[in-house]
Amino acid sequence: MLTQASTKPSTAVQSATRAPRRPRAMSGTGGRTAALFLTPFFTIFALAMVAPVVYAMVLSFFAQQKSGLGFGEAKTSFVGLENYLQVLQSETFVGGIGRLALYCLLYIPCMVGGALAFALLLDAAVTRARKLFQLLVFLPHAVPGVIAALIWAYLYTPGVSPIVSVLQTGGISLNFLDNQMILPSIVNIAVWEWTGYNVIVLFTALQAVPRDVLEAARVDGAGEIRAAVSIKLPLILPALSVIMLFTVIGTLQLFTEPSIISKATASVTSTWVPNMWAYDAAFNRHNLNQAAAASIIIALMAAVLSWAVTRFSSRNKA
Amino acid sequence: MKRRQLLLGAVSLMASAALITGCGSTQAAAPNPTPAEDPSGTITFWSSMAGMDKVAEAFNASQSKIKVTFETIPNGGAGGYAKLSTAITAGNGPDVATIEYPQLPQFVSNGQLQPLDGYINKAETVDKLTDQTKALVQFGDATYALPYDAAPMIMWYRKDMLDKAGVGVPKTWQDFEEAGKKLKAVAPEAHLASFNPNEAALTAALSWQAGATWFGTEGDSWKVGVNDDATQKVANYWQKLIDQKIVKVQQSFSDEWSADLASGAVVGVLGANWSATGIQKRTEASGQKGQWIAAEVPNWGSPADAFYGGSSFNITKSSKNPAAAAKFIEFLATSQDAIKARGNTGSAFLAFPGLTPVAQKAFDSSYFGNDIYSVFDKAYASITPGWQWGPNWDITNTALKDAYGKLTSGGKVLEAVDTAQSATVAGLKQNGLSVKE
Repeated sequence: MLTQASTKPSTAVQSATRAPRRPRAMSGTGGRTAALFLTPFFTIFALAMVAPVVYAMVLSFFAQQKSGLGFGEAKTSFVGLENYLQVLQSETFVGGIGRLALYCLLYIPCMVGGALAFALLLDAAVTRARKLFQLLVFLPHAVPGVIAALIWAYLYTPGVSPIVSVLQTGGISLNFLDNQMILPSIVNIAVWEWTGYNVIVLFTALQAVPRDVLEAARVDGAGEIRAAVSIKLPLILPALSVIMLFTVIGTLQLFTEPSIISKATASVTSTWVPNMWAYDAAFNRHNLNQAAAASIIIALMAAVLSWAVTRFSSRNKA
Repeated sequence: MKRRQLLLGAVSLMASAALITGCGSTQAAAPNPTPAEDPSGTITFWSSMAGMDKVAEAFNASQSKIKVTFETIPNGGAGGYAKLSTAITAGNGPDVATIEYPQLPQFVSNGQLQPLDGYINKAETVDKLTDQTKALVQFGDATYALPYDAAPMIMWYRKDMLDKAGVGVPKTWQDFEEAGKKLKAVAPEAHLASFNPNEAALTAALSWQAGATWFGTEGDSWKVGVNDDATQKVANYWQKLIDQKIVKVQQSFSDEWSADLASGAVVGVLGANWSATGIQKRTEASGQKGQWIAAEVPNWGSPADAFYGGSSFNITKSSKNPAAAAKFIEFLATSQDAIKARGNTGSAFLAFPGLTPVAQKAFDSSYFGNDIYSVFDKAYASITPGWQWGPNWDITNTALKDAYGKLTSGGKVLEAVDTAQSATVAGLKQNGLSVKE
């Protein structure tokens, strides 16, 4: 308590001294040095990020057309937005987006709610137990996504899974991998993987909540719960919105877990989520142009969503 | 501010430079096929088949002119074809690739393979094959592959369970259904086989056996019949088996399937000659030695079979040394030394005459209760002629697999083949091919 109280003013001093220094860096002679240091970054950024994106954009405006039996050379022609139209008109692609929306509806409340609850509990806990619980909660995140999906695929598979057989002896016959259960099952994997990570983010934010404010609340007679809801929660809202932003964008990237699970069940189709749709277009249907169009649509969706979330959260702050 | 603009300009310049080189790299024109008498050089070979590294080593040891570098790649189900196809398109594919028969036409159609004509000694290789296997590797007048294995579909049973049910080995599909019912009567939890929604190629083989033709050509058009009459008959029959719980719907090679074979919840496997090792691996620990037998697949009245699986060797467009690659392919597909070098990697059944006995000698079949190779021979002799794979198997394959996903929630096999038919036709048309239904 004491150390935290004493670090607080010092950070305030630092930020106070840092503020006036900022404009000097912009106008001074440091610019040339900065450019020198930035060059490696921009070179790699251009080669590994910008160039592929531009190439994908170019690809997405062309189409390869064969004719007759298809054994001849394919003709490449400019088709404008045709590929985009085909992607957006595809039932499976739109279905995949709908599935993602449903996934978000299930996933975000569970994961963010869980992370928040854990973080508040950790913040309120005794210091000694805190370290241990922090580690335990974070552990699942240390498991790579592919491995996590494999482990859960095993735990879901009837006839192999101890969970399923325990449920069965209890009289509950549940198939985690059938058509209705598959979405909640995959949400569960993501919750298991990501809650711990976000607990750390929120917990760090909670540590920065000024202790004097909390003490004042306590003096006014607020209990732990009241303090959590009325003081801590509003003060960590920025961290919460960052989490939401990353989660929503991360959701659009959903690929690993469903593609691993698809080996264990036919309920996960090859075009289950937009990213799998793009993969299927590129590597099963060999239509790179359509895959490029789909990828750009996914990227645009991520951009729009990030913009919306940041917009929403900055308004919240003000 | 100016500097930033400069930087951005440089970035976009570099990006467009990368783009131009990316677009400008045209594939090297294929050299005129002149059979080199004595090719030499280093070539690369990609395969997902076990033991192929030893075959490459044996080839390297047998001569000094050509050096083969072997690389293991994932199998088709794990993305092997995506890797191969992408590598060839990018111009850095291997010289020699391994491709299964259903996928072969699409690699040819995408212009990713070189014809073997002119490089191989046809009289000593292709001409010695049966018409059924030849049909799988020749398109138009050109030969695009040498076949490795010819995998007849085989039905594997637990003999002890058939005895318990009081039935003999089913001869026809009607017998099979009867046997399934009798098995249910004595062992309510047991299934006579499983229906594998992940194996569209198995549905194809069953339809092929029943006389279906999913793909054919008519003039300059493809004729697609994924839901033709014979296939509908097969679909309705399997629906009946699923409804009566005679077969269990489950992914083959999954943990669930393995567990069910070990526990006896499934007592038969509809597979091929190559299923032997898989069955042994999954059931050996549960003391089922000597109980598994191979049998010809039940038929619709007269003996008939189809190929289920099997691979071929090809020269890709990336190869700059097709003559050397062809020499190696001849060794792979026709030499007894290649089979010997591979050792015991499963109960292989090979397309080139005279090789199967060598593979048989290498395989220890003592786990099984009957002479499995004599069953393979009989099955191989009854392959229904006239089957051809279409120009893009992956479209049909994924469409059928995806539609089978609904089987656990009220979907029907027949609906799935209908879906696969329309998806195939739409997919091929989207690529610009001419299609008739």
